[in-house]
Parts: sequence; structure tokens; C-alpha cells
Amino acid sequence: MGIHVSQLTDLTTQCIRCGFCLESCPTFVLTGEETESPRGRIYLVRSAEEGQVQWQDAKPHLDKCLGCLACTTACPSGVKYGEILELARSKVGKSLPKKALLTGMTRPNLLRIQLKLGRLFPSKRIPALLSRLLSGQTPEVDKPQLPAKKSFPSLDESKLPPIRGEVFMLEGCAMRVLYPHVNEITRRMLRRVGFQVREIGQGCCGALHAHNGYLDEAKAMRSRLYSALSGDIPIIVNSAGCGSWLKDGDRSGWVFDASEFLLQEGLAEILAREGTGGLTRVTYHDACHLSHGQGIRSAPRELLKAIPGLELVELEESDMCCGSAGIYNIAQPKMARELLERKWKNIESTGATIVATGNPGCHAWIAQAAREHGQRVEVLHTLEVLERSFLRPRSTS
Amino acid sequence: MVSELGRILSPEQVLSGPGAQRAYDCDAYSVDRSKPMCIVLPESTEQVAAVVRWCAANLVPFTGRGAGTGLSGGALPALGGVVVSTKRMNQIVEIDIPNRCLKAQAGIANKRLSDAVKDQGLHFAPDPSSQSVSTLGGNIAENAGGPHTLKYGVTAQHILGVTMVDPEGEILELGGKVPGGPGFDFFSLIVGSEGTVGLVTEAWVKLTPLPTAVQTALIAFPTIRDATETVAEIIASGVIPAALEMMDRGILVALEAAFGLKYPEGTAALLLVECDSNLSAEPAGELVQREIETVAAICQAHNAIDISIAQDEAERQKLWHARKKGVGAMGRLAPSIVTHDGVIPRSKLPEMLDFVYEVAERHGVKVANLFHAGDGNLHPCFYFDDRDPKQVHAVIEAGEEIIRKCVSLGGSVTGEHGVGVEKQDLLPLMFTPDDLRLQAMAKQIFNQGNLCNPCKILPTEKSCVEHKKRWRGVAW
Repeated sequence: MGIHVSQLTDLTTQCIRCGFCLESCPTFVLTGEETESPRGRIYLVRSAEEGQVQWQDAKPHLDKCLGCLACTTACPSGVKYGEILELARSKVGKSLPKKALLTGMTRPNLLRIQLKLGRLFPSKRIPALLSRLLSGQTPEVDKPQLPAKKSFPSLDESKLPPIRGEVFMLEGCAMRVLYPHVNEITRRMLRRVGFQVREIGQGCCGALHAHNGYLDEAKAMRSRLYSALSGDIPIIVNSAGCGSWLKDGDRSGWVFDASEFLLQEGLAEILAREGTGGLTRVTYHDACHLSHGQGIRSAPRELLKAIPGLELVELEESDMCCGSAGIYNIAQPKMARELLERKWKNIESTGATIVATGNPGCHAWIAQAAREHGQRVEVLHTLEVLERSFLRPRSTS
Repeated sequence: MVSELGRILSPEQVLSGPGAQRAYDCDAYSVDRSKPMCIVLPESTEQVAAVVRWCAANLVPFTGRGAGTGLSGGALPALGGVVVSTKRMNQIVEIDIPNRCLKAQAGIANKRLSDAVKDQGLHFAPDPSSQSVSTLGGNIAENAGGPHTLKYGVTAQHILGVTMVDPEGEILELGGKVPGGPGFDFFSLIVGSEGTVGLVTEAWVKLTPLPTAVQTALIAFPTIRDATETVAEIIASGVIPAALEMMDRGILVALEAAFGLKYPEGTAALLLVECDSNLSAEPAGELVQREIETVAAICQAHNAIDISIAQDEAERQKLWHARKKGVGAMGRLAPSIVTHDGVIPRSKLPEMLDFVYEVAERHGVKVANLFHAGDGNLHPCFYFDDRDPKQVHAVIEAGEEIIRKCVSLGGSVTGEHGVGVEKQDLLPLMFTPDDLRLQAMAKQIFNQGNLCNPCKILPTEKSCVEHKKRWRGVAW
């Protein structure tokens, strides 16, 4: 028997089965099943690629993977698990309902129409039929709601630094529709450190497609986006999943998560000087594609800690996936729910009144838990917390 | 089988089908592979007992498995049958701080035991490099060691009692929270029995105070010999370091690739030395300082080119991180590795290491070494492409040659990874046929039908020889 070589085989042979990833993997921690672990999945992918098992035998386990990339943080061998997963998912065959769902979520106008139509249905959750088509399980995700319009007082130009540069801001698909105010806040934060957003019509970056194995479509979307955002100026992203995918592309050097860019440009100093915290206790949830995907852990924390009077309490298992994971909570409701409840328990035990995070998926999912558990904790994008500290009048000192 | 076991447990506690069978066909020793019929994930001792009773009644072999990080194929289901995973038994049952012990289920990761009592200044001392994932049950089965074995002893010294299911499915309590007790010490037969005399489901473990003072140094040497000669001399000086680890050039290359760690130009080997004490704070600091200075002086006398001492806990963790993830980092060099495990008297280290390199070269395989030098516990790591049957066999042969040499130098075929399926054929190097027969009789007392983790440890029984051809060295 000769040595077969394929890109996927080569990627999987990086794994030497040491198992150091096991306890970092949320689905392994919950199930204890080797088939639901990174090592098991890599082994099944390699086995399928080389004909030792059928792709159909690997598929259910690839479907259950969150794509949270916690395993890549734990892996000493540098296995590129994200790439393995994307390539493997592109091989196991596509599901029509999933594709339709992705399309629906990544076209802002279509998403808005769906949300409006959604109001016609009495149920609180997404339609059971959709859920059954995708997962065979009853739905767990609440229908997203169009947000009430939020307005902000205009910035006092006299107190702002002069404009020293321009940046692009990725508006995002979900972000634009569900959390438009986070985009507005991002513009305001950038302005506070002296940057102006070059406004430009833009489409989807393709991250959701990529993470679900529609690699060709995803790459085409990313290229289209890159050509829309042409010019050598930074691209600022406030949604972790998109940032992680864009950083994998050709223009990776120009892509920054909003938190890392703002910290680097001196926002912490401005916060310390002008912000107020109102003595709140805040905790922080690491979005997977920010911590494991982009290695960004300290920047959002540094910014939060810079707010005078704010107490940042560490969240137990802060970088363990909440179960949202793109469309995972729609495609795998049961597992997603277990992870959400675990996350919620950890959040509650911090005693914080606010949990901050940097990704719309986590935001919506954890906010649902907050509603279900009596709304004692507010879920906010990290930048929203920062914005509040600027809006609250300084009472002391 | 699947539906009957599904009735005994619940259907979702039984895994079957080609995907699951593949995923459980080996542990971290991937040279040999054998598929189970199905896998069960019990949640309690009673459930384990029910599964084992079913296996015994139906003459189905069964093999226990924790995290599957074993390095000698201990969790390989050699005759197929049922894999009994402990991974849904991962709770701490009781913590008793005044008596410095805790009781936990077998499937919990070792490090979680230490994490649970860290705030009380205690820890569970046995710390194999895989401690963040390997299970308590696995530590007990293999009598695992780790870097700190040198001072704190192996797992056996830290287990007070176990709850286990014997191969007939009966639940036994051996030992307990209080040490001692009358009668034969069956309990010490259990620790290190590699899951062949029953399945441990819970254990009382001893908790050890965390050191009050620690100094950790990383020393670079220009030649392997300089490093190996230093090891014996450190121990001879009367200093007993908490850990005394060695890493050679091959490991440094992997670490550099994995973590961007840089080492002084001309480094052929590194020693990682940790001295600690848990005396009350003040004298502990002085004692440890004196010890590390003694170590540094010995290193200097052996041509050390660089001695760096961790200035704070963060730096110390960084040094350890590299050591503990060193083998994992080998994945950067080749698709597969086999980590060998042999023991020799420390004084023979220089001679032995020369031999390791010579053997590797002769068989045309690549080798790197990182190991517990203070114990004379070698871990030559062969890295190779498991898709090439020639390389697989060269690795097996080179490994056996190294183990033979260990024995001829007065050492042992294994230090801490166990015999499993990897080294059964090498046991006659250490034991006479009579010795082996006696050991087989001891195993028989518990494991009469030989259904409990069959074909492990003792040189292959007749019934296993044929089966062994099926999986020995199949690799990919």
C-alpha cells in the first residue's frame, strides 16, 4: 500500500493523538465521547479521507462540532483544526435547509423581512418545522427581534482629538440588523481615538458559510468584500466570527478586531480620564473566534478595566463556547442548550450585573438565557459597556 | 449486544457503528489498533458492575478506558468486545481537608483534583505530562509517574483506597480513607495492574501540601554527555530536586517550532531542575536557594553554557509548559510518534543516550529525547510516517533494542507507561518463566475468564497469539 497524500490527510497527520485537546472541547466535556472530541474527529476525518470509514460515519460528529477552536489553543502540535473542519465539512455533502438558512442570515434585507414575517407566528421560538428539518429536534432559539432604534447624543467635537486617519468598518450581516447600535458605537469609539470610518456599501464576508463547509462560496464572498474595501487602510471588525475569517484571507494584516485596534490607539487612557463606571460589577465572556480564533483575550479586558470604578470579575470557563457558534444553536439545539445553561450558571455565580462579549451570536444566545432566568444580568457588546461609561455623567472627583 | 447493553444502561450510553469503533480502536499508542464491538459510558459504579456482569455472563471481553492518553496500548480492546469508558464518571465525591484526602470518580482529569484543593494549599502530586486530560483511573491503572515522581513518588504512594468492579461484576472496596488495615494488601496489586484485574471506579487519594518555596532553573549544555553526567552528580551531592528533566536537540527544534522558544546557540541538551520545600516560609526559601546554588555550581563544572532561573511564577510556568507539551509539539516534525519508556540507573545515562542515538541511526529512524533524568527514566521519542510500514517496523525494532539495553544495564522495561501490548514480549528479559507463571496465577485469581482487558502485560497467552497478528504494528 502506497502513501496517499491529500491536503486533508496532511493536515490531519499533524495530530499525534496526545489528547491534550480533550478537556478543552465543550462537546467532549459534556458527552465524554471520543467521537465528539477533536482528536476523535481528526481521526475520523483522516480515516474517511483515506477510505477506512465512510464520510457518512464521520458526518454526525462533524455536525456536532461547534467549530469553537478551543482545541487549537490547547494543541501543542499546531494542528490546524479549523482548516480540517472546513475542508471536511465541504466533503460530507450539503444540506439544503442549512444552505437556505445561511442565505437568509447573511443577506440583511432578507433577514429583516424574515424577522417581520416572524412576528406573524405566535411562537416565541424559531419555527419548529425549520428546526426539525435542520436537526430533527425541537427548537431552542428564540426568534430574533428587530431592535428598537437607539439614538446617541452627538459627540462634542471640541473635546475630540483631531482626525488622524481613516478606517473601514465591517458592518456585518447579523450585526447590522440585530445590533445596529453596536456599529454606531464602534464609529463613535473610533472617532474618540481620532479615526473616521470610510463608509462604503458592503456585503457578507462569508464567515458563516466557511465555518459550515461552504468554502468556495465563502472565499468568493470574502474576495468580493475585500475588493469593496480596497485601499490600504485598516478594516475594523466588531464581530468575532467575521474577524477571524477575514484574518485568514489575503488582507489579514489590515484586519483588526475593534477592541485590539482601540486599545492600541489609546482608548484605555481616554476611558481612564473621561469614563465613569458607576461602580458596576462586570464579567467578560470570551467569544471563541476572538479568543481561540484570533488570540485576543486581554484587549477587551484591558478596555473594561480602564473604566474608573468598574470591577471586572473573571468568569469561570470564560473561554468555553456558549453554544451559539454561528448557526449551531439552530442546527444542534440540544447540545447548544446544555452549553448555554452551563455558561449561565457560571455567569450567575460571578455576581456581575453585566456580561460583556464581542460577537453577535454569543450576544443573542446569552441574552436569551438572561431573559429566561429573570433578566438579572444585562448582556452587552464590550463596546456598549465602554459607550455607557462615556455617557454617564461624572459625579465624583 | 448493543440493544441489550442499551437496556442495562440507556441507549445513549452505548456507542456503536463504524465511526465509534474506529475512534476507540487505539489510545495514544497508535502502532497497534483493534476495534471494539461497542463502547459504553456508564455513570456510576453500579452501572459499571451491571455492564461487567453482562459481559461475564455472555463471555464478552471488556476493556476499561479513561482519556485514552496511555502510551503502551493499555486501553486497546485487543479482543474486541466492549470498551468501558469512565468519561461520564468525572465527579469529586468528597473532599476531606483536615485529613488531607479526597474521593473522586475514576474518569476525572488528574489536574482537576489539584485545582479543586489549590486554595487550601494542597495538590494531588502525581503529575504525568498529560495531567490536564489523563484520568485518575488511568493514573491508577498505569501507576503513573511524572516529573515530580523523583521527590514525591509515583501514583501508588498517593492512593489510599479504591472502589472497583471485579471481572465477575462484584463491587469491592479496598483500602480506604484511613491507611493500614489487617490482611493481605490486595490493594497494592490493583494500582499498576493496567486494568487487568478489574475496573477501578472511585478512589480516595492523598493530598500533598503545595511547596512554600520553589526555584526552577533551565540549564543549557554544549553536549549530551555534559548534561547526562551532571544528572548523577546532582543526586550524589545530596540534593533531591522535585524534578530533574532532560530535553535534547530534537525536542528543542519542536519546541521552537511550536512555541517560538529560543535556546542559546550551540545547545545540545537542556536540563530543567526544580527544587522545592514545604517547610514554613522563611527557612524553606533559604533551603531552596542553597539547593539551586549547589545545582548551578555542578552544572557550571560540567560546561553549562547558560543557566536561567525563573524569576516568578509566570516564568516558571513557561519553562514547565515547554516540558509538558514537548512530546505533543513533536507533531510538528512527523505524522506519528512513539514515546518509549525504559529505566536505567542514573549513572548509566551517558552510555545509554549514546546507545539510543546509535540505534536510531542504524535503523534509519529519527529520535528525540525528553525524560525524567533524575529517575533514570528514559523516553526516547521516535517520530515517523505511520503510513510507511517499513518505518513502523523499524520503530518497533529500534524500541525493542533500546529496552533490551536498559535491562542489560540493570534497569527495567518500563518506568511509568506500563507494559500494555507494547512490551509484553520483553517481560522475559526481566523475569524467569517461574516468575511469570506466578504473576499469571495472581492475575488469574481476579481475572479467571481472562475477559478483563485480555492480552495485556504478561507475555501473550496462547489464545492471544493469533489475535495479536491481526493488530500488531498495523499502524495506519
